[in-house]
Amino acid sequence: MPSDPGGSRAFAGRAFDPAAIPGKPEALAGVRVLEVATRIFGPATADYLGLFGAEVIKVEMPPRGDLMRYVAPEGFFWKEVSPAFLSLNRNKLHVGLDLHPPEGKELFLRLAKRSDVVVENLRAGTMDGWGVGYLQLRERNRRIVYAANSGFGQWGPYAAGRASYDATAQAVSGFSAVTGFPDQPPMKAGFWVGDYTAALMSATAILAALAARRKTGEGQMIDLSQAEAMIRTLDWTWPYAGMTGKDRVRNGNVDPSYTPSGIYRCRDGFVAVSARDEDEVIPLAHALGATDPEEASIATPERVGAFCASRRVDEVVRIAEDAGFSAAPVRGGKDHYHDPHLRARGTVCSVDDPLYGRVDEYGPAPKLSESPGRVKWSAKPVGWHNERVFGDLLGMTTGEMEALARKKVIGKWADIPGARPPKGSAP
Amino acid sequence: MSGFAAWVREATEPSAAAGKPEALGGIRVLEFCPGHFGGMVAASVLAEFGAEVIKVEPPDGDPLRLVAPEEILVAGTGLPFLSEARNRRFVTLDADDSAGRDVFRRLALSADVIITTEPPERMEAMGCDYLSLREERPGIVYLSLSTFGGFGPDASRPVRDSDILCQALSGAPYIVGEQEREGVPPRPHEAPTRLGNWHGSFVQGLWGAYGVLAALHFRAETGKGQAVDLSGAESLMMFADYNITWMHTGGKARERVGNFDPAVFPYTYIRCRDGYTFIAAYNDEAFDSLMHIIGRPELARDPRFSTPKNRVALENERALLTVLEEWSGGRTADEILVAVEEYTSKRGGPGAAVVTGRVNRPLETLSEEHWRERGCFLRERDPVYGELLLAAPPWKMSGTPARWKSGCRPPGADNRDVYLGLLGMTEEEYRRLAEAGTF
Repeated sequence: MPSDPGGSRAFAGRAFDPAAIPGKPEALAGVRVLEVATRIFGPATADYLGLFGAEVIKVEMPPRGDLMRYVAPEGFFWKEVSPAFLSLNRNKLHVGLDLHPPEGKELFLRLAKRSDVVVENLRAGTMDGWGVGYLQLRERNRRIVYAANSGFGQWGPYAAGRASYDATAQAVSGFSAVTGFPDQPPMKAGFWVGDYTAALMSATAILAALAARRKTGEGQMIDLSQAEAMIRTLDWTWPYAGMTGKDRVRNGNVDPSYTPSGIYRCRDGFVAVSARDEDEVIPLAHALGATDPEEASIATPERVGAFCASRRVDEVVRIAEDAGFSAAPVRGGKDHYHDPHLRARGTVCSVDDPLYGRVDEYGPAPKLSESPGRVKWSAKPVGWHNERVFGDLLGMTTGEMEALARKKVIGKWADIPGARPPKGSAP
Repeated sequence: MSGFAAWVREATEPSAAAGKPEALGGIRVLEFCPGHFGGMVAASVLAEFGAEVIKVEPPDGDPLRLVAPEEILVAGTGLPFLSEARNRRFVTLDADDSAGRDVFRRLALSADVIITTEPPERMEAMGCDYLSLREERPGIVYLSLSTFGGFGPDASRPVRDSDILCQALSGAPYIVGEQEREGVPPRPHEAPTRLGNWHGSFVQGLWGAYGVLAALHFRAETGKGQAVDLSGAESLMMFADYNITWMHTGGKARERVGNFDPAVFPYTYIRCRDGYTFIAAYNDEAFDSLMHIIGRPELARDPRFSTPKNRVALENERALLTVLEEWSGGRTADEILVAVEEYTSKRGGPGAAVVTGRVNRPLETLSEEHWRERGCFLRERDPVYGELLLAAPPWKMSGTPARWKSGCRPPGADNRDVYLGLLGMTEEEYRRLAEAGTF
């Protein structure tokens, strides 16, 4: 029982070593996921499962596929693929399959019979209307876990036909109303937080449903609204509204629960200053010039702001470390890309992709010592894995596949940037 | 309502959840996260799916209870703690006292999952670090939450984990907020902007719960437990879009652009008669639809706006925002929604991808019938904490629905239950430890 002092940190260095990951098993090995989704909410859900070893088959409508393929920052495509598409579609098998014709539906049902999970983010009821919704899939496979991701849920007054993106959820949930500065309009988060947050919640519910299935042998339907996911993350907003009848206001860059904790401007950038309780507020007040603990109240946002304004970010961080409060720089993608800490943790990682060569990505956040997550390969063009999935998995012959391709039931990429392989690489 | 929607409603109706089985029934979680919100979230998520969670607080209560925006305290507990304290049992324990450590270790050895936000050195001193628990309980899943994670060059930096630190490091605020203007001193809001809620802590908790579930899945297959190390900064970092892929492929770092977007436009908030509403129509077909909706079909052919690439040039985004607000300024958010739905309902495929939604203040969200009907909010009455309005678990599930079962209780409210019932202490031992101040 007596522990080896410092043993945990030494153990962590060994147990989580990114170099050892390829030789370790994967947590979700043997779980097959069918993704019928576009843009972010559904694809990110499947991506999170794929990072931990699930086999994800991404079903796209040929030849254009997922419309996220055409979302490209400043219109920039690299080797005919958008960097925004790459980061959402790791470790997937890409098939081009049209779910409208009867042969397409049948093929999908055959895939579903051999799968564990379906993730979709079409408008509520679309899959059911096509004859490939949860109720039809369940007929073939009682064990299927079906995650229906949508903006407003599968039922209720707003469910029918109403579309949603990330920022719909940011907007209607109240999230944007509490983000930004009091004298300014509500601020939309500049990243697609309403999608990712809900996608992570969807992936979490899928793992819970798989745990339940282990006991019952039965799958189930999961109905997740991305707006409701965001509502759940608004901490004290709701009890405050219930108790006071008032709206929580935007509070700018100071956290109203931990004043003066917040983000401050320095001479050369921005820093977060954090003081959770007296144990940190008193040292912070000292750093600001207080001479005894009674003066802790001088640690106001104004004083912290003035203190930071005349210093560099690294000075403030060093002062905090010496004094006993907490501080960290505000960092961006360029900082992350070059950060040795994130590289050493595999949080920024390189994958050697057979089609694209080296691609750098954010790796999985949770580090598991025995069955770690990993990025194995990058996104692929529409229908890239048709032969592997329809041939190897379903046992179709080349002739059968060619016949279905002629009828446009299955297909491959359109000859446009975003959908097609890099120049000179197509088979 | 379609037959399918009616079926889903009946199958997932939250008010009927109470009689159904729970996904994580039989999994016991020990939560040791004093003063830490992200740890609470991780435990809450598991608890909403049915895990049995025991929260260990210091004898005088978790310091997070004292965190009280606008100084609102209910029976000594602030609203952040009250909002997240659900589905658990509340025990107190002096973990710095040797008898307390012994009790803690007994609790830990009865658990399937440990969630801790304390530094590894403290857990070692308690004999409850991963390695020493694993010796006696090889199946244990041990989640550690921190700002920088448990290994790597920055792992031993002396910070106490918090939402603002995790947000700052994650890259999120870096791409939220208004740009500075050239040649004039920046105004306070022209800065990287924090997400107003504790999103850093929430996402840390969510990834924590996800890591635990992946580990439990692996344990069910192999019998092996494991350690899970999670940095809160990296948790939210996972949501920072294509930061790394764009740096790698294009050498470009993303910068903040206010309510504009470097990859999709229109995708912004527009001023309307009663506030702001979201409008998006960024693929060509949808953009054409939107230009018809606002009565300016010719703009779909305007060279500034005719391709996705041209639409995301910042000066064109600004010009387009002006055009959109000329139309939206005199209309309410609801009128805009009706106009969009009328047009898109007649148009399928990519042309229907015109998306809107009012930027609600919290009270506006609360007033909408849709959320009420879906059981999205709970009003719970508690003898100690009174009536509380809370967000319900967001997952509606047909087989093993997530659910809210119980709310906050005072520190130590479940001591007897847990120490006598679960650990099998005798009355005498319990009394002795209580009198000694161990709990």
